[in-house]
Amino acid sequence: MADFLNSYSIQRWLELCPQGYLEDTVNGHQEGETEAESILEDDDLRTAAIRSTVQLVVGERAALAASSGLVNLAPDYPSKHFLATQTLDEARHVEIFTERLYDLGVKRADLESTIDNFVNPHLVKFAEVLLEKIDSGDFIAGVVGQNIVLEGLAFSVFEMMETTNRVPNPKFAHTLAGTIADERRHVGFGENRIGSLIKEHPEKKPEVEQMQKDMAYHMLKTFSLSFEEGADTVDKEREAIGDVGEANFHGTDLSSASSQEMQAVLEATVISEFRTRLARIGLEYQAPVGV
Amino acid sequence: MSEVDRPEFDSSEFDPHGMNPEDFLDEVHSFEFWFQAVEGYLTDNPYGHESGDEPISDRPDDLTESDKDSLITTLCNYCVGETAALEGASGMIAIAPNRHSKIFLATQVVDEARHLEVFLRRLQDLGVTDPEGEIERRANPTLQVFKRRLLELVKAGDWSAALLAQNVILESMEHAAFLVHATTADPVTAQILNGVMKDERRHLGFGENDLGRLLSEHPGNRRRLADIRHEMDGLVLAVFSRAADDLPGDASMREAMGREYIETMDRLGLV
Repeated sequence: MADFLNSYSIQRWLELCPQGYLEDTVNGHQEGETEAESILEDDDLRTAAIRSTVQLVVGERAALAASSGLVNLAPDYPSKHFLATQTLDEARHVEIFTERLYDLGVKRADLESTIDNFVNPHLVKFAEVLLEKIDSGDFIAGVVGQNIVLEGLAFSVFEMMETTNRVPNPKFAHTLAGTIADERRHVGFGENRIGSLIKEHPEKKPEVEQMQKDMAYHMLKTFSLSFEEGADTVDKEREAIGDVGEANFHGTDLSSASSQEMQAVLEATVISEFRTRLARIGLEYQAPVGV
Repeated sequence: MSEVDRPEFDSSEFDPHGMNPEDFLDEVHSFEFWFQAVEGYLTDNPYGHESGDEPISDRPDDLTESDKDSLITTLCNYCVGETAALEGASGMIAIAPNRHSKIFLATQVVDEARHLEVFLRRLQDLGVTDPEGEIERRANPTLQVFKRRLLELVKAGDWSAALLAQNVILESMEHAAFLVHATTADPVTAQILNGVMKDERRHLGFGENDLGRLLSEHPGNRRRLADIRHEMDGLVLAVFSRAADDLPGDASMREAMGREYIETMDRLGLV
């Protein structure tokens, strides 16, 4: 265990992240880059961008609360070190997505009311399931919920958004690229560290799997509502940005897919990743019912 | 490039006077600001010191076996203090009253974890093969009491008391101990301590500013916080008393640490 954890040291993180792929960036993107004019000039598109960015801020706030709570629960120094770096990664994500809200025209004084207005209630429930586990001091469930389920969800959502923004909105795509690199590291830690703990504590499996099932339920409800709310602006967005060529995401061309097709490919991708990652740590994916 | 000639954060590009208070706090408590502050003294200094061409354990030093043993005890206690700081700072994120405080504390979490890592690494350089076991054996019991008390305040969700204990008292205690120790430490340890102290000053500044603002808004808290300070001052001075025995030099080390700590606390004039 110690050898793999050495690659998650603070020193390694400093070299890889702030001194690596974030070097010479400002809020995760290149200096001077701005949001696409097509978004800023159209109220509907700007509102849709604010709505989707609010979900990112709320998700990252949950991740910040969860990872900082896990530092104190971690049973060894190397895990504490890694979770400390993850805490700062999540804080950076909160910061850069909040900055995007400001770039989209949200006034600083209106930040919290904007978040309250646009937040998806199912996403709040999703976060609550995770934070309850951390509040009760459950390190194993906390790491599975945070580093496998929440981070796995974020990873695929960010990848999809990065794919759709790469050509029409490079500033936001660059912001997302740095967060994707972070999430990949977080998921890797979750898989590597928690597998051995699950083996040591097989009695925890049913409880952890129930948590995953509850989180997956709220995640799928979040997707349903988000794509339903976004369906009206999909065509308008395509008209505004014009033909940008194919945007392939796991076999679906996002530049021409319907809202339902986009939801379907995202759900399939996230669940497939969950199955793979959970299997690696000795757990079986539990499909939620009623969604 | 060495620590001495590397340019640090260029404050000439940052004009705090032209900003409103909220924008100012957003700016100085951001990831960007933190990274600009630390990159000068962390770049090219893996594990807090210049890497050099040969493994640190192969480099000659003037440490006798007795000096080395004393240094190991001192570093074990620094690890206890930094673990307290790491767990305190991460616990405080949940109770911080606003976003910029949460983000500042997240930068502090990484700073404290880095300090713990560099001290653990130094222990390994000195031949300690089981740092966790060694820390348990050599930990100063009074420092353990201090840690428990700090974490109680954090867990109770008392923001102003936790801020006083963590970002003012603990940071002042560590700063005083590191400052005095650095005057007699071997070159590698001294360089590590100097880097750590730069972070401590930033943490102390946050505590001082935020607590000062809170006390001006809620002066009724002053008496309660003064009682907490009184209780924790006793623990700090008892920690120094034991720590001075582990450092080379005479009783003046203990007095120097205590004086430095009390002067810092009095200069802040918070409680």
